[in-house]
Amino acid sequence: MISVALVAVLIAIRSRVNLTTVALLLILVVTAIATWAGRGPALITSFLTLAALNYFFIPPLHTFNITHPQNWVAFAVFTMCALLVGELSALVKKKAEEAEARRLKIEELYRDLQNAFEQASQAETLRRSEKLKTALLDAVTHDLRTPLTSIKASVTALLDEAEVTSEADREFLQVINEEADRLNRFVEEMMSLAKIEGGHLLLRRTPTSAEDIVNNAVDRVARRGTPIETTIEDTLPLLLVDASTVSQALFEVVENATKYSPRASVVRINAAQRDRGLAEISVENEGTPVPREFRQRVFEKFFRVPGSRKEHGFGMGLAIARGIVEAHGGKIWMDAGRNDRGTVVRFTVPCEDHA
Amino acid sequence: MIEQNLNVLVVDDEPQILRVLRRGLEAKGYQVMTAPDALTALDMMKASRVDLLITDLRMPDVDGMELCTRVRKSSEIPIIVLSVKGDEATKVQALDAGADDYITKPFGMDELLARVRALSRRARADADAPETPLAIGDFEVNPELRRVRVRGNEVHLTPKEYDLILFFLANHSRVLTHRAILRAIWGENSTEQPEYLRVFVGQLRKKIEHDPRTPQYILTEPWVGYRFKPEP
Repeated sequence: MISVALVAVLIAIRSRVNLTTVALLLILVVTAIATWAGRGPALITSFLTLAALNYFFIPPLHTFNITHPQNWVAFAVFTMCALLVGELSALVKKKAEEAEARRLKIEELYRDLQNAFEQASQAETLRRSEKLKTALLDAVTHDLRTPLTSIKASVTALLDEAEVTSEADREFLQVINEEADRLNRFVEEMMSLAKIEGGHLLLRRTPTSAEDIVNNAVDRVARRGTPIETTIEDTLPLLLVDASTVSQALFEVVENATKYSPRASVVRINAAQRDRGLAEISVENEGTPVPREFRQRVFEKFFRVPGSRKEHGFGMGLAIARGIVEAHGGKIWMDAGRNDRGTVVRFTVPCEDHA
Repeated sequence: MIEQNLNVLVVDDEPQILRVLRRGLEAKGYQVMTAPDALTALDMMKASRVDLLITDLRMPDVDGMELCTRVRKSSEIPIIVLSVKGDEATKVQALDAGADDYITKPFGMDELLARVRALSRRARADADAPETPLAIGDFEVNPELRRVRVRGNEVHLTPKEYDLILFFLANHSRVLTHRAILRAIWGENSTEQPEYLRVFVGQLRKKIEHDPRTPQYILTEPWVGYRFKPEP
């Protein structure tokens, strides 16, 4: 457009300008186009302006013939200049574009680096805060356990004394002893839960028999007069778990089952292979069934089924069990018991695959 | 039972625990010394006779584990460590470092006294008759014939079972880690797993226990090992 407009203006005033001025002005146009639009358009403009120069300005006018040798020289110089300038300008433009692209790339890399630094520092902050939390928790546990140890040792020493004969005194001492145990259990559960939630559960998975795990859990449960029946499938392979924590999970489930069992009713533990490499342990009681809408929520911490008896618990047991089972890649859930009596808590853990 | 002239050293950085344990042990006739840290304890052991050591595991500077290791370099006295719950790895480490028993905080005084009694009894028996005693509690051993009688009845044991019961008898009242037992019976380079030992102990229980389901002699210390009691 520019070149066409310029050519038109130059045609109008061609009697007053000489051929050199026309050629220089047209080269200027080619240069400008090369700078703005690149090599291709510059080349096209070069050929168009060459044609226009020859046709409109080099005598004989309105033909593509050139008769005068001097005009041949001028035409050749113009041609070379136009092409050269076009090429050089295009090259400069290309270099400038490359430089810009490089600048953008460097900026992008810099931003990436900055993000990486920020993320690393966030991770470091998080790690430090987790470390701090664990250290704090350790300290709190230690500070709670130490006075508990003194209380427990003192009160049991007194209970052992033959001189404490009054029934009321013994009862008071027994209350102190039981409450010290209760407080200790609370500290333990808080610590377990905090460890699970903080991802600090250290799992040392070794092949362990289900029998060991079940026996250990059952030994720890305060029976409250509830018989516990255990059935372990003969062909159940060794469990690939951290024995101590899975035993704790089972203990929490069994403890919960006995707590909500009617006296003298049976709690049944069953361990069997569910799938290849997967064992299922279930604990069934004959207590009041948990309504369907609460069967998932019972695994939330501090959750209690509305209307349930307020037993000596803190609502952490099943949350701890879930944390441990899930850390092993297993699942835990609650079903209704047989004939809609009681409830069954089932969980899966990995076992050896003999198939 | 009043224990005469038995010097017990209690090491803990918590003054209240030292106070309670001193009172509780003194009430049963033990001579009690207390130390707030391991280095003081080591100095006291050089200066006076100590028959039994009770130490906390978690202490500043030199911890209970290191104290066990250092004491074991020069002494065979019974060591009971006080630990917190759930830390089986630390218990095993302490036992491997030379402790004979552990007790979990918080504990009842009766529980601690029972452990102290059992270990002091075996220490005294060792001092009286340094060779392996042939009759302990319900067990009698005839080493020439490699025969064992429990409650007066002869039991037939395989060679490995015989080795195991002998090891248990020689180390009764102590907590023996799986590794310690496997090493003693199957040798230093034993690669057997605790699971294998469990099966083995199960077989032995069937032969010596009244009711193998509720053992009275070979007691399981969950995830740590076994403790042998020569009489229920």
